[in-house]
Amino acid sequence: MTTLLQRFIPESREYLESASAGLLGLERNPANDGLVNEVFRAVHTLKGASGLFDIPALTRLLHAGEDVLGAVRSAQMTLDSTAVDLLLDSLDRVSGWIDSLEAAGALPTDADGISARLSKQLWALLPSAGTAAKAVAVSLEVAPPPDWLADLPLEERQAALNASAMDGANLQAITYTPDDGCFYRAEDPFHLLLQLPGLLSLSVVRRDEIALAETDPFRSALAYRAVAAQPRSEIEQLFRYVIDQVVIATIPASAIDPIGLEAFVSPQSVGTNCPMAARILSEQRRIVALPGADTALKSRIAAVEATIASLLASLDWTVPPGELAAAAGDACMGRPERMLGLIAILEARARPARSESESETIAADPADVLIDRRAPLSAEARHPGRILKVDQNKVDRLMTLIGEMVVSKNSLPYLAKRAEEVYGCREMGREIKEKYAVIDRLAQEMQRAILDVRMLPVSEIFDRFPRLVRDLSRRLDKQIELKVIGEETAADKNIVEALGDPLIHLVRNAIDHGIEMPDQRVDVGKPEAATILLRAFQEGDQVIIEVSDDGKGIDPRAIKLKALEKNLISEDKADSLSDQQAIDLVFLPGFSTAKEVSDLSGRGVGMDVVRSAVEKINGTVTLTSRKGEGTLVRLSLPLSMAVSRVMMVEVGDGLFGVPMDGVVETVKLPLARIKRIKQAEAFVSRNAIIPLVRMHEVLQTPRGLVNETGEEAVLVVRIGGRTIGLVVDRFREGIDVILKPMDGLLAGMRGYSGSALLGDGRVLLVLNLKELL
Amino acid sequence: MPLTITRTLARFEDCCMVEEALSLLEFLKGRKSAKVDLSRCTYLHSALLQLLVVGSVKIVALPTDPLLARWVGRVLAERHPEHLAQPVQIAR
Repeated sequence: MTTLLQRFIPESREYLESASAGLLGLERNPANDGLVNEVFRAVHTLKGASGLFDIPALTRLLHAGEDVLGAVRSAQMTLDSTAVDLLLDSLDRVSGWIDSLEAAGALPTDADGISARLSKQLWALLPSAGTAAKAVAVSLEVAPPPDWLADLPLEERQAALNASAMDGANLQAITYTPDDGCFYRAEDPFHLLLQLPGLLSLSVVRRDEIALAETDPFRSALAYRAVAAQPRSEIEQLFRYVIDQVVIATIPASAIDPIGLEAFVSPQSVGTNCPMAARILSEQRRIVALPGADTALKSRIAAVEATIASLLASLDWTVPPGELAAAAGDACMGRPERMLGLIAILEARARPARSESESETIAADPADVLIDRRAPLSAEARHPGRILKVDQNKVDRLMTLIGEMVVSKNSLPYLAKRAEEVYGCREMGREIKEKYAVIDRLAQEMQRAILDVRMLPVSEIFDRFPRLVRDLSRRLDKQIELKVIGEETAADKNIVEALGDPLIHLVRNAIDHGIEMPDQRVDVGKPEAATILLRAFQEGDQVIIEVSDDGKGIDPRAIKLKALEKNLISEDKADSLSDQQAIDLVFLPGFSTAKEVSDLSGRGVGMDVVRSAVEKINGTVTLTSRKGEGTLVRLSLPLSMAVSRVMMVEVGDGLFGVPMDGVVETVKLPLARIKRIKQAEAFVSRNAIIPLVRMHEVLQTPRGLVNETGEEAVLVVRIGGRTIGLVVDRFREGIDVILKPMDGLLAGMRGYSGSALLGDGRVLLVLNLKELL
Repeated sequence: MPLTITRTLARFEDCCMVEEALSLLEFLKGRKSAKVDLSRCTYLHSALLQLLVVGSVKIVALPTDPLLARWVGRVLAERHPEHLAQPVQIAR
């Protein structure tokens, strides 16, 4: 089942539910416009969504319902209880089909017929349909065997009888009148009819007598007549797209009676249930059909003739005089059709007329049929897995609450410490710690569960790419194959949603700029069809999404030239850049490498937009490329935005948090290793010079600890590609915090990304190093 | 080319789709008795079948595909029994 269908199913249940509830409300209070609108919208939306799938029966029925509701909405008609009943019936039917879609991936075979009948009934309600249409609709329900059956050649009628007698299958007469424009809709009536299994007769009639010279060859001018031994539902399914142009009638054996037997059968024996006779007759049929045309045939036929004659006599049945003898004569000449036809007719008489009685229930009363067929939808089949749709704010509130709980549980260790140190009660302290361990575990599980609620698979956004790639590659005449890996990887809803636009941009870039024309690709020895790979996977607490192509890659020199041209960098700087650094220039605002601005990408918004969008959700973008081999863009994103891990440091008398993802290492640095370069300080670590920044100066707090150990505590961080050492007073532990953005008066304050509450009630300011330094 | 037209004969080959309808009509229009060879036809679109029904054609050969031959033969036999060059065997 496709993910699209998976989503459609719970959604449609919701719409159905609200539509049914609305209808019931409307029945009580027909004047409620709000309810009418609500029901109409639900049905309308559902119809639209169902159009995505190959389920015309469902779409058509909803369409009919929508028409009726539309007429109600525009006050052309009022809903009486008959209409409500019919609409509710239809909705129940649709809901049953949805269940079957979920269970079997397809609608039940009888869906097309039911849909056609129900929608005709619905359309008949419309005021514009009028009484005439209503009568037509009803007559279509109980279509009698068409007159043209009598025109069929004898052998076809016999074959039809044989088929019905042999398999007990229902014979159906199909009158198919395609409309004029059907060729324009790529319909092919003749071909469609050839698909019909058990086709026994097929003929055409011209719908007009236009001479050849005036014929429009693209206008369908024929009506088709066919007979098939198939259950009605199978035929309805085959014709599901054109079902309004088809009339299907169940044929009782008498209607194709090739020898006019009807008239000769004594009235009292009509419908006799005579299983013994039926068994004898079917045995005779088997004997007649035995192969071989030698002398044995004649005696076999003679025996059959005698058996049938005595059977007729005992049942007090008669057949046209000479018919039995003529049939036997033909059979001896190797043409058993007539004999078989005769036997079939008699068999149909002798049997408890199964096919006829069945056809009568179909034909008798449409309402009965509906009730009859609804029965199989048993109660337990109707309670499928439900999905609860919850307002996002409610989940967010849960998230905040669990966050506060995590924080307040963190105060328990402080309490334990106080119990020990202030009240001198070690026992108590230990018990508090034990309880803390339990609460800690529960809180963590709860947090994970709530985070899970917000998780969405990245397929949410990946799903739109096949179409995008297809359309764009067509437009640009490039051959591109899209591969998607790991679409089930999940991340927080906000993150997945925020990724949509940047990803579209990246894929467009790859198609537009990255991938060469097919002939160019062949020239450099690559396969004609290019590949774009979308890959998602989880790495630690990050989600990685990669967009890669095997196109022409990025030429670092071209990038440098372009950047110089646009005065984005100076010439000296350009010379000193490594290839990777040059490639990173594409992230500069106002950089666009395409020579011409196309409407696909390169509209002045470029990779810098991608970068800022990704950074907004605390992610990073890296781009690697090899000229001639392709480009890889890698987005790393946090799994969830709700909880961030920070490293706590003490500076002066304050406590500050530094986001953990920027921290490279912590170093205890002997004073002697600090080098002074003019006013600036630096130290050497792993063969690199790392500038030092004294945080108490930056944060303008008094220097707290006087250093007695002869060491400085240095937090090495990476900010925007630079490595910097932050001199702090003391390291503290790393903790998970719920980061609250600064608001109110503090909202405009630069240098802080937010605040968080600590277990002991203190407020932790979390630094935004990029802004601060 | 699914439809090859010579002076008096139209030969159908492979899948003959609706696109051929116009050329078939042109062919049929000009002639009192047009001959049609369906032997290599594997698919006959309704639009073409319809022209064969309306026009006065002589079917020189039915398709080799038995299903197609049976029903094309059946449909054409009823409309124009006199135009069939040979009796159509209705296969069972």
